[in-house]
Amino acid sequence: MNWFSRVIGGGKEKRKIVLSAEQRQAIEAWQGLPADDLHRQHNDGRYVIVDVETSGLNMRKDRLISIGAVALVDGRLDVNDAFQVVLRQDQVSTHENILIHGIGGSAQSEGVEPVEALLSFLRYIGKAPLVAYHAFFDQAMIDKAMTEYLGIELDQTWIDLAWVLPVFFHYGTDARMELDDWLRQFEIENILRHNAVSDAYATAKLLQIVIAAGNKKGADSPASFMKIEKSRRWMHESR
Amino acid sequence: MSNSATEMLVSATIEFLRSYPPFDRMEPEAMRFLGENARLAYYAKDSVIISPESGAVRVFRILQRGKVQVRQAGELGAVEHSMLTMGPGEGFSISSVMAQRPSTSTYTALSDIFCYELSADDFLVLMQKSPVLNLYCTQSLASLLSQSRQQLQMQFSQHVAEQQTMNSPLAAIIKKEPIAVTPDTPTRQVIELMAGRNIGSMIVVDAEQQPVGIFTQSDVLKRVVLPEASLDDPIHSVMTRDPYTLPFAANAYDAALAMAKHGVRHVLAVDEGGHLKGVVSERDLFSLQRVGLRQIRQTIDSATSIDMLLLASQEVRQLSLNMLAQGVGAEQITQFISALNDTLTRRVIQINLDRHDLYGIEWAWLSFGSEGRDEQTFSTDQDNGIVYICTDIMDREQTQLVLLEFARDVNADLDKCGFPLCSGNIMAGNPALCLTLEEWEEKFDNWIRMPEPQALLNATIFFDFRPLYGKFNLAERMRLTLLRHTRNNPLFLRMLAGNAVSILPPLGKFRDFVTDADPDHPGTIDLKKYGARLFIDAARIFAMAHKVSATNTVQRLRLAAAAMHTPPEEAAAAVDAFNFIQLLRLRHQHSEQAQGREGDNLITPDDLNEVDRRILKEAFRQARKLQQRLKLDYQL
Repeated sequence: MNWFSRVIGGGKEKRKIVLSAEQRQAIEAWQGLPADDLHRQHNDGRYVIVDVETSGLNMRKDRLISIGAVALVDGRLDVNDAFQVVLRQDQVSTHENILIHGIGGSAQSEGVEPVEALLSFLRYIGKAPLVAYHAFFDQAMIDKAMTEYLGIELDQTWIDLAWVLPVFFHYGTDARMELDDWLRQFEIENILRHNAVSDAYATAKLLQIVIAAGNKKGADSPASFMKIEKSRRWMHESR
Repeated sequence: MSNSATEMLVSATIEFLRSYPPFDRMEPEAMRFLGENARLAYYAKDSVIISPESGAVRVFRILQRGKVQVRQAGELGAVEHSMLTMGPGEGFSISSVMAQRPSTSTYTALSDIFCYELSADDFLVLMQKSPVLNLYCTQSLASLLSQSRQQLQMQFSQHVAEQQTMNSPLAAIIKKEPIAVTPDTPTRQVIELMAGRNIGSMIVVDAEQQPVGIFTQSDVLKRVVLPEASLDDPIHSVMTRDPYTLPFAANAYDAALAMAKHGVRHVLAVDEGGHLKGVVSERDLFSLQRVGLRQIRQTIDSATSIDMLLLASQEVRQLSLNMLAQGVGAEQITQFISALNDTLTRRVIQINLDRHDLYGIEWAWLSFGSEGRDEQTFSTDQDNGIVYICTDIMDREQTQLVLLEFARDVNADLDKCGFPLCSGNIMAGNPALCLTLEEWEEKFDNWIRMPEPQALLNATIFFDFRPLYGKFNLAERMRLTLLRHTRNNPLFLRMLAGNAVSILPPLGKFRDFVTDADPDHPGTIDLKKYGARLFIDAARIFAMAHKVSATNTVQRLRLAAAAMHTPPEEAAAAVDAFNFIQLLRLRHQHSEQAQGREGDNLITPDDLNEVDRRILKEAFRQARKLQQRLKLDYQL
């Protein structure tokens, strides 16, 4: 295919991926990074806590608009190790959607070129395990964008606090706890709800809390959290 | 890109901190630095964040959410002195981070907490960037200082409370067998008995020796004389029935309380069977109260024997201990000890004058060393001498013999009163120190003209002389001569200064303190030799160089500073430093003596609390400053 078909292809057609030599190099460099040791202690390495804003909740149809992330390094949140990017949108999201995340039309169309945005995200996360609340959504949206723009399978380790938190804290209810419920429970203030960075920062505080609880009960590594999450999912699905 | 994320989180941090002092006043640039470099940490409820065992504190923390409990371990380790709870916006622990030392307190999370953490290095940078924070930390240290002083006071007042006998059982207070009568004894007989035995109250007991009433002096007027009751009536008709009793095992405090509560002047002590064991009067309790300065002076002035003076000297010690407990500063306490010791010494001299005929001799008793400087601590030995005038018609040898005999008796009596004989024989009974005015002047002159090592050492003892008894004008003439000689002899002052700076303050290059100067006592610092003396020696030189006739180190520092055009706050810093070292010495000597040891000056810096260590370090820096001034003045 040529540039022409790409321009007229549009919509839901699979894009042709065109990367510069430097961009390919950047991907290779990231791929060559050593894998993180998931059996390390929680507070002896780096976690990246991620939150995404999208054009909607349909994982198939909707687009990734923004990624916010903060890092928990050796158990501490370091503001200098934080990340935020808005991906340039060819098509601005709906008015209702803008009202949720507050990333306006011009901010969307003036965002960073998606390939560069995703490369900078790769550089930022390295091979650190990623953490989110309802991680499947963030994971799906990011994976989709990675395939679409960079032509790669991200295959990063994800930990979903929505599964891990209830193991250590239960409040006598089987009701689904949403992120806001947990934040209220632990009196964690959110600077700016539905801002990707702010949500990630608040989620990171939940991670600090659950790490302290995990350490007390011998669940002291990323691998142990992954195991907990897996068995919870299994129990949940077989019910 | 990622800057916008950092930017947002930094602003959020700053915004949070802005609601708490001192961050509400902190400079924007410093605030930014703090926001950018603070990292957020979480501690679950009940986790120990800092403890004395966790080593040097390398992180300054500001509580973001939750509560932290601070428990300060007591100086003696046994008592936990203070508990404190910290909330959001409060930072800890300033002093430990500044000194990068282990904390003396334990910080525990009372709830789940989030706190901002700033590395010690960044904290020090922040202190430099922010005068506001700097001031805040200094003030916080100052308030720690006053806390430490309060702790010290608590520690001592506890000790005093033990000494004061308000806690002692009534059994210990009641000295006399009670005098009692039966209810049918005629009133006349009771009053005669009271007058004859000179007692204020009579207890009336039944056949089982159980008190049934009390009859006091004031009852005589109110119940017998005024109502014109018959003196032949039995005592039970005029006595107060059911007098107030306490078990024999109750203490003086209970008795005082009962008197105050029931408005009675006497409380009866009874045993388990209710039998009368004794009477405690209001006056008995008053005499338990601390002896005051005035009483001690009266005791000393009216003493006619050495034994009585010995008692007085023990009271002096007790009173100075009370003063220490009340938080009186070292300067006042040492002057106070010196003043009362002066009174005591004068009385010893007076008592001995009755036995020695010194008629026709003009003489004065001199104090040297610490007493000469009005700086006596609890442990002090004698340093004294005599100056006298020998006229042409007098036999010098004969006169000296008379004075020596007298002086040796005084020395021996002072020894009995708790001032041990001087091991170096610096005492008036030593012929070399019982000299005529001319001989003293010649002696001084020789030391000044030929400043050999021994002469310089002598100067540090004898040049701090002060007259205590006799013709004070003799001492004044000695002083004038001395100041004139030293002023005309810059070389002597230079040598003296060289000596003074030869002992360095025990500040370590790597560690805070040098504690191995004395191989016999590793881990300690001799606060006299390596502390107080550095100030004393420097002050003496400043005084002599600037015609200051005072002998007291604090006065010398203050008066000389004025003559030297030193800023008053600089002089005040040196004085504070000296006083702090003296206070540590007093405290240490007292605790040594409380444990039955001879009070030495060897303190162990590791045993001091964090704040005291920091102040001590600063005090040594002040000593170094004085030495630097000497080096500059005398180009050493």
